[in-house]
Amino acid sequence: MSVKTLDVIRKRLEERPDELRRARENGLKVVGWVGYNVPEEIIHALGFIPVRIAVGGDDRLVEIGARYASSKTCVFIREIVGAFAENKDPYIQQTDILAFDATCLQNYRAAEVIEYFFKKDVVVLAVPRNFHLDEAKEYFAHEANEFTRLLEERAGAPLDSARLAESVALYNDIRKTLKSIYTFQASKNNVISWEEVYDLIQAGELLDKREYLSLLTQTLDELKERQHYPVIASDDGDSRIFLSGSLIPRGDRKLISIIKSVGGRIVGDDLWSGILPHLDLDIKEISPAGVALGYLNRTPHAALPYLDLESDRRLKKLQECLSQFKAQGVIYHTLRYCDPFTFKAKETKNVLAKSGIPLLEIHTEYAGSDYEAMKTRVEAFVEMIKIKSEIAEEQSVLVDA
Amino acid sequence: MGKQLFRYSEANKEKFLESDNITFNDGSTVSPEEIWHYLTEEAPVKYPSAFEVNLYQGNRGSRDETLPTSLKTRYLGLTFSARMEKAKDNGKSIAFIQGGQAVDPYTAADTIALRPGLVNQWNNGLEYGNDINKENLRRKKSKEKAFHDMSFEACQTGGYEHVQAGDLRIDVIAPYTVLRCSDISYGVEAHRHGPKKNVKLLNVDYPLRYQADKPWAIEYFAQNLRRLVNTLDEVTGRKTSEDDLLKAIKLHNTGRRLGTELAELWWSADVPPTNSDDRASMVSLGNLEVHGDVQASLSVLKEAKKFIAERVKNGVKGHAVADNPKRLFILGSCVGINGSRSEDAGAIVVGRDDQWSHCSSLVEEEGDPYYNLAKATLEYPYEQSIEKRAQWTIEQIKKSRADGVIFIHNWGCNTQAAISRPIVDIIKRETGIPTYIHERDLHGLRDEQEQNRVNAFVEML
Repeated sequence: MSVKTLDVIRKRLEERPDELRRARENGLKVVGWVGYNVPEEIIHALGFIPVRIAVGGDDRLVEIGARYASSKTCVFIREIVGAFAENKDPYIQQTDILAFDATCLQNYRAAEVIEYFFKKDVVVLAVPRNFHLDEAKEYFAHEANEFTRLLEERAGAPLDSARLAESVALYNDIRKTLKSIYTFQASKNNVISWEEVYDLIQAGELLDKREYLSLLTQTLDELKERQHYPVIASDDGDSRIFLSGSLIPRGDRKLISIIKSVGGRIVGDDLWSGILPHLDLDIKEISPAGVALGYLNRTPHAALPYLDLESDRRLKKLQECLSQFKAQGVIYHTLRYCDPFTFKAKETKNVLAKSGIPLLEIHTEYAGSDYEAMKTRVEAFVEMIKIKSEIAEEQSVLVDA
Repeated sequence: MGKQLFRYSEANKEKFLESDNITFNDGSTVSPEEIWHYLTEEAPVKYPSAFEVNLYQGNRGSRDETLPTSLKTRYLGLTFSARMEKAKDNGKSIAFIQGGQAVDPYTAADTIALRPGLVNQWNNGLEYGNDINKENLRRKKSKEKAFHDMSFEACQTGGYEHVQAGDLRIDVIAPYTVLRCSDISYGVEAHRHGPKKNVKLLNVDYPLRYQADKPWAIEYFAQNLRRLVNTLDEVTGRKTSEDDLLKAIKLHNTGRRLGTELAELWWSADVPPTNSDDRASMVSLGNLEVHGDVQASLSVLKEAKKFIAERVKNGVKGHAVADNPKRLFILGSCVGINGSRSEDAGAIVVGRDDQWSHCSSLVEEEGDPYYNLAKATLEYPYEQSIEKRAQWTIEQIKKSRADGVIFIHNWGCNTQAAISRPIVDIIKRETGIPTYIHERDLHGLRDEQEQNRVNAFVEML
């Protein structure tokens, strides 16, 4: 089920590091960003080239990162720190400025450690824990203005409102197109897989935004041509898996490949590194505060504590996605020392159990040593879902008869 | 064969009886005679584990019999659980808080504020007659329950297991969140899925990154403090005024000043006037929250300063301290090293950043008390950037004339572990003092492996 535009995107990704190098030689600056609430439109509108710094899957870099940020830091952050220490990643090499947010405290610590050891120019956006309260939003608006001021200093020019409006419109179009594409992967007789869409989403973290939108539009056109009316429904023998939990960045495909290898079909995710950040982003006002509040008002990140289980928007969004994508089970991925998600694993399992959705927690790191153990557990889970759906199908046939 | 238990010597009784009463929040007092009776008759029966002579105890548990403060802090520690139960029976409100924060707003709102260590202490004291190993097993068991309900990677569980099991009557979980630790905020959140729905939950949102210089951040934290006081008032049914907060700030400033003066007096001595544990327990009185009773802490603190001044003047050396001990400064999470065994190895702990950072942060008394408290809190040295925190720490190391620095963090304490290396890096670079980073398990007895590293470091010094 090859989608031709995806090949173009893969090729453009290979060319991107050189392209960034040339852009920098021509005086442009690259801002590497890390986090969940970094308002990328502001970076873009200031004339910087935004790239997301998100690498995973390399336990050698994790080991290097631990020398600087301790072995008790989450695997993802350790790998990022390790990648800065090694300085061989082409995107890290091309980064002039780093923009972090303090959504996750470990992310914030990474900013401090990278600033200290590798002498990087780091700008941090503080994020309130009580994100849903009015006073927290007012505080965050101030922080967004301060974040913009620090970036303006580095850009050598103030933020232009018209350019910000253009960037917001561009990013809105990207988000809208991604959402449309995402529907295709979960459909019956799908011509694009979730894995391909996931790679496509992550390609947008690196490519030029205008070109990316154009490639997304081409992808969507191609999909529409091949599948006129995508209907989200099971194919025979499907085991529809939803991925939740800790992020799965570029370079880390261990769990995804295991699910595929045992016959599971991923049909959706609410990962920080997947579709979730692109959903429900409503920018009501063209200003730094307006953009930042749009980010804060999305489905909150698990690192931001919310004290009422019944009205938790993160859990509601998960349930909404499970229903939308007709998922039959959740694989909840937690990374070593990723507290925002490990603390919530059992709770999420209990919440979903009420609606009959099983959840399997896979706690892992970037070493390969747990591959077979993970595979055994995932295989049993996928098999269980298949048997459950076969039984359900048999029962419905009996009822119909 | 029974365990060997420590007993206070009658030879020191007479001098102890000349010391002051302890006065409590409710105006009641306890006399030295009553304290002596408790420590020598009641406590060894109730809490044999506390009197067990055991290498892995973690501290000497006040073995400096000639220092009355040592016995009094011991008394307050051993009666803690019973006092909290009594406070609850009398309708007092109790809040769970974070370690490393001041408790001025809780005092103003007539609420006892207990940090994680104190919540555990309350629970530990509910069962009598255990030896040290039984006590340890009991603690491990309850932690396992909490790890199961939260995460096995939690560095500490903040009393979740005790509160949700209904073992402790805590009314409100309201810590300053992400101050020094992220697990606390996830721990607060975890209560939302527990069976005890009547426990109020609140995040007092402590913002990060250069916040003390930002007026909007100070205002935001001040609003959080107002929300905190309103929440505490909902529990107590009273109305806390700004004047109540100002009075609490003044009271706590008195404690902070006394704590600081006492620490500086201790540092000024040619020979250490107490051992490591007595130094720590006296200085931490400055925050006034350590025994769950502000007035009791203050009365013991006032008297302690007098005793230490006398010892410094007369050149008295603390109990069991070696001649010319190697002076260690401890950084990092809310844990320390085994004081008594480190002293046996020829060292003494002369300071820590934990508990000291906020003790040394006075609050302005003129103007809006919420704003002033918020500003002082955002200025805690421990919570500043790597460079700024390291510079403050270097000042403390110099004042205390430390020979070596240990950055110690709990297993799973991501927030402190992550910056341990840069902090010690700066200290080593700017002072030339040897440092090392040490990881320990918060839940368990102090083991040989841990002590081997400390002893090797002391030997190297």
